[in-house]
Amino acid sequence: MKLNRRTFMGTAAAASMSAPAVYAGAHGRPRVVVVGGGAGGATAARYIAKDSKGEIDVTLVEPTRTYYTCFFSNLYLGGFKDFVDIGHSYGNLAANGVNVVHDWAVGVDRDTKTVSLAGGANLSYDKLILSPGIDFVDGAVNGWDLSAQNSMPHAYKAGSQTELLKAQLAAMPAGGVFAMVAPPNPYRCPPGPYERVSMVAHYLKNNNPTAKIIVADPKPKFSKMALFQEGWANHYDGMIDWVGADFGGADVSVDPSAMSVTIDGEENKVHVCNVIPAMKAGRIAELAGVTDGKWAPVNAADMSTKADANVYVLGDASQQGDMPKSGFSANSQAKVCANAVRGALTGSKVFPAKFSNTCWSLISTNDGVKVGATYQATPEKIAKVDGFISATGESADVRQATYEESEGWYSGITSDMFG
Amino acid sequence: MRIPELNKRVFIISVVFAHAAIAGTETSEVDEGEFEVSEEILAIVGDAEYGEYLAGDCTGCHQIDGSYDGIPSITGWESESFVWAMQSYKQKEREHPVMQMMAGRLSDEEIAALAAYFEKLE
Repeated sequence: MKLNRRTFMGTAAAASMSAPAVYAGAHGRPRVVVVGGGAGGATAARYIAKDSKGEIDVTLVEPTRTYYTCFFSNLYLGGFKDFVDIGHSYGNLAANGVNVVHDWAVGVDRDTKTVSLAGGANLSYDKLILSPGIDFVDGAVNGWDLSAQNSMPHAYKAGSQTELLKAQLAAMPAGGVFAMVAPPNPYRCPPGPYERVSMVAHYLKNNNPTAKIIVADPKPKFSKMALFQEGWANHYDGMIDWVGADFGGADVSVDPSAMSVTIDGEENKVHVCNVIPAMKAGRIAELAGVTDGKWAPVNAADMSTKADANVYVLGDASQQGDMPKSGFSANSQAKVCANAVRGALTGSKVFPAKFSNTCWSLISTNDGVKVGATYQATPEKIAKVDGFISATGESADVRQATYEESEGWYSGITSDMFG
Repeated sequence: MRIPELNKRVFIISVVFAHAAIAGTETSEVDEGEFEVSEEILAIVGDAEYGEYLAGDCTGCHQIDGSYDGIPSITGWESESFVWAMQSYKQKEREHPVMQMMAGRLSDEEIAALAAYFEKLE
């Protein structure tokens, strides 16, 4: 195109009309980079792209091409879901304006505002949203490290680990022993280990009824404890031996080569051992320098980090206050963050933060339970407002309705994340 | 479904049938009792833009495209039906722990804002 005065003026006018109110001019559209494509990151990327209607350039960095949700992965172990049911592609996000980059983020330079990728590229950002989920604390369980994860899977990042644990469960000899080393607080999905115990028990009851489950737990109590224990007694009487902190459950070591688990000095030969170690924020949060200890402290109003107003942390990796580390929480936080980030970059209206969470767990066929709460932003933290939990002794109809509701929620949240 | 006038009895019955029809299930509750919402509350004009933001609390479960898959659709609801349903949860006249909690923290203006947003969705 030849640059004459008329076309130049036309271009300038168009640019000024579409230019964002806040980040006008300097480098075209404002840029948001989101690292991690789970419940926090995928939701944030999708909402910013959708609501900004093209005004913001959104890039999502996620190494996996198919994302397997950690939530509902226990239902796959129990035989209630096929593996494909919990897998999701990023195709709809790409089709709706998100630049999806399948790579690992390996560094963040907060001075130059760039994210470096394992593949060698660098991405510039005006706002960076980190939603990396969890990594495991080194040395958290005596005898276990990542090199042992094939012998003793964690299956706490869904995908090949989940398939491996299922295969090991199916290969257990008749009357074999399934062991779990449960994690200390705080960790991803508080009821998750206990729903997993329930689903493993369900599978064993139908396929290997003389098998046993032993759980070594560093905690004296756990999420939905009364509901799970009631359900275990109802459905799996005598199969599950839960060893809590009061009975030496915190004193545990494993030997992956011998397939043994020693609890409070007593060695147990086991056939499957699911080690769920202590957790910390996904590594990139630490590399970005926004963590303090294991997690990344954030401001409740918008999920921006205490360390850097242009870097936000969502979901499991964040230290925000009262919300549990769950997919629902991450999805809720992402929408508050998306609204705030869009407002900061384009001048759109920013509404006050409101958060919510509900966690459903399946104990046995049509026996679902749930716990939930609402939250608000205070200057100190995300603070609980109100909550509820399923009651023990509920009717079969109520439990079935709760399970059916959880199925609806799964469809709802995955649509909200991936479009 | 349109509600022809704000005659309360007609309104209550209409809402009950609207809910059953929209939810697309025969098991949807049809006997909610005679819960009434005041005309003052029904007259609040909701801010749909605020409603779109608040809807983030809904769309984690209720699918925005209206799909029904274990959790009822709320997309395209007639505004007054929406307000009635949310107020009945807020006042704990209608059972459901999640919905009582979610509605319970919303102001009348926020419920009106959500109603205005969901009504315009197709």
